[in-house]
Amino acid sequence: MSFFMNQASNQTVNMQNMAMAEQELEMVSDLFNRIVSSCHQKCIPKTYIEGDLNKGEAVCIDRCVSKFFEVNKTIGTKLQQMSGAGLPM
Amino acid sequence: MDFSQFNDAERNHLQRVMEQKQMKDFLKLYSGLVERCFTDCVNDFTSKTLSSKEDGCVQKCADKFLKHSERVGQRFAEANAEMMGGPK
Repeated sequence: MSFFMNQASNQTVNMQNMAMAEQELEMVSDLFNRIVSSCHQKCIPKTYIEGDLNKGEAVCIDRCVSKFFEVNKTIGTKLQQMSGAGLPM
Repeated sequence: MDFSQFNDAERNHLQRVMEQKQMKDFLKLYSGLVERCFTDCVNDFTSKTLSSKEDGCVQKCADKFLKHSERVGQRFAEANAEMMGGPK
């Protein structure tokens, strides 16, 4: 019976893997939230004339996301080099 | 994200974690949107109800933020896919 119902309960949960998966999840969603708030601040004027994104805002958002990723990568590489060189982290 | 390396129990566990996170994110979105649109749209306290102008501003502010967030999500997913699988 438990065959169908609780197939999963017989399996063990690897806590270390779960912690890593959860941390990755947290990192990705944190990155997303930071991009949303940063690009909103940079691309969307506070005078809400219309509810839709206009052409300029849309283009700004696309470029903003792209540049944020680029900066993210640059800083990541830099920190990696620093830690590789044994500099204080 | 790719969970294919995990067994059913582990996938169930992650599913629960993600549901809890979604709930938390929704509450954060709610309070964040209230604060953002209140700050940007409501600055006049000569009356105790929203003027039609303020109300309109709040509507647009919320609409625009959600569309903004959706667009960022699209670009984010594309950039993520590119990082994972290399440019296509």
